[in-house]
Amino acid sequence: MIELIEVTKRFGSETAVDRLSLRVEKGELCALVGTSGCGKSTTLRMINRLIEHSEGEIHLEGRQVREFDEQTLRRRIGYVIQSTGLFPHWTVARNIGLVPRLLKWPAPRIRERVEELMALLGLPLESFADKYPHQLSGGQAQRVGVARALAADPDILLMDEPFGALDPITRESLQAELRDLQSRLHKTIVFVTHDMDEALALADRLVVMRAGRIVQQGTPLALLREPADDFVASLLGGDDRGLKEAAIIRVAERMQPLSPRLLPRARVHRDATLRQALAVMFREHADRLAVVDDEDMAVGELSLRRLVESRREA
Amino acid sequence: MRREPIGAGGAGGASRLAAWRAPLAWLACLLLLAAGMAWLEPLFRWFQPDTRQVIYPHADFLTLLGRHLLVVGVAALLAVVIGVGAAVLVTRPAGRDFLPLVAQAASMGQTFPPVAVLALAVPVLGFGTWPIIVALLLYGLLPIVRNTLAGLQGIDPSVLEAARGMGMGGVQQLLQVELPLAVPVILAGIRTSVTINIATAALGATVGASNLGAPIISGIVNGNTAYVLQGALLIGLLALAVDSAFERLQRRWISSGIG
Repeated sequence: MIELIEVTKRFGSETAVDRLSLRVEKGELCALVGTSGCGKSTTLRMINRLIEHSEGEIHLEGRQVREFDEQTLRRRIGYVIQSTGLFPHWTVARNIGLVPRLLKWPAPRIRERVEELMALLGLPLESFADKYPHQLSGGQAQRVGVARALAADPDILLMDEPFGALDPITRESLQAELRDLQSRLHKTIVFVTHDMDEALALADRLVVMRAGRIVQQGTPLALLREPADDFVASLLGGDDRGLKEAAIIRVAERMQPLSPRLLPRARVHRDATLRQALAVMFREHADRLAVVDDEDMAVGELSLRRLVESRREA
Repeated sequence: MRREPIGAGGAGGASRLAAWRAPLAWLACLLLLAAGMAWLEPLFRWFQPDTRQVIYPHADFLTLLGRHLLVVGVAALLAVVIGVGAAVLVTRPAGRDFLPLVAQAASMGQTFPPVAVLALAVPVLGFGTWPIIVALLLYGLLPIVRNTLAGLQGIDPSVLEAARGMGMGGVQQLLQVELPLAVPVILAGIRTSVTINIATAALGATVGASNLGAPIISGIVNGNTAYVLQGALLIGLLALAVDSAFERLQRRWISSGIG
């Protein structure tokens, strides 16, 4: 659990973060979003004390971060940055084993842990362990970056635009992997991004910042449905907000039982999003879809009317 | 500590030795000439038929070479310790205020002519080896300081951010990340410094240090071009041998990791 209470950071006469209070629950992925210069990265970096806060309190598991020894604190917090920051003169395996080595784990245990993480992140040991960072693609390098952050099994992970430098396809597959990892590992994650789709896709809670303050926070759905002001609304995509909302609701949450009527030809998978269902309807000129499972068996149906029906939490 | 990069480690010791061929060849030439200068007497006699003595007689060339190397080596060692040390200190948070000062001091060291340093150092340190070591040290400091600064400041900031963010201490970061990454640039600085100083060390002969400069100075004073040639040839070969050895070292460092 991370708690920031009335935290302020000033650089000279400029106030980067202004009396910000935020609570990130255990196991929660909290995304900080906002335009550049809104103080989201500064907020993140104050948590592991790469930047010292000027006023207020930052608590980590009930203790103030100032009470920790800096290095002890950072070794307990995973840290992933956009440009990876892998050490170019170290192999992938050695890079991943950095924090365990700093924590003086015995060598066999480090090796075991590195192997485990490489498997977890889909980096085959034999082809990657001895590679150097310059031999990796952007996506592979960032996987190594995530593995390095997870190495000492920290409870908390700070991610500063981790996928910002990747091409859209790689970015999406890494986002999916992160979501998958998170569903197994339940880390407490603070995630900074300016990519709203990324934030909507990953976050349990969205925190919108502007000029060093929190403008609004809540679940992605709550923010999409009731943005506090025009700034939040436009940040969330203006009129596209509806589609973004549709993109985070699954078909399975809205589908109806099979009716006795003839089953429509156009079909959509139950795990697809409402946005995808809408796209299928548009493409197939259909206002009713069959919802199918992995075996392509119809398990329900979805009508356009039902799809656009207002506010039904799953 | 370093692992061989993939595809470079297999060939083993033989290929590694082969890579050192150039420096070893220069070294062999150097030693051969230093040991066998007397055999070349007919050549020098032909070159300078009117002179009675054509091979520098006052000292054995191998001894002169050894002393030359010693002077350059001691000066280089001191320059590396002081130069790298100073550059490291002024790139730490605590010493950052002194960065311009150190950079300027090192530049001034090189603008000061070694001959003038010798002239100033003799009254203090007396005749012999020490004045020339001081002169070489001052003269050789700049390339080392400048390159160490460039090497340390040229490291990708995100690497340092990660090192700090992962919980590395200042010393760990310096020894495990910054210095290894700066080594190629630092080595280039040492190479420049040492190569220049091999030639400059000859000046030491003017203040009583006996090294490969001795035949040159003696030759100039006595109008004996053969002496000058002998000293100059050996100094040239020494510079080539050392320079190509450094080139090898740099290559080796780069190919064993960052490339």
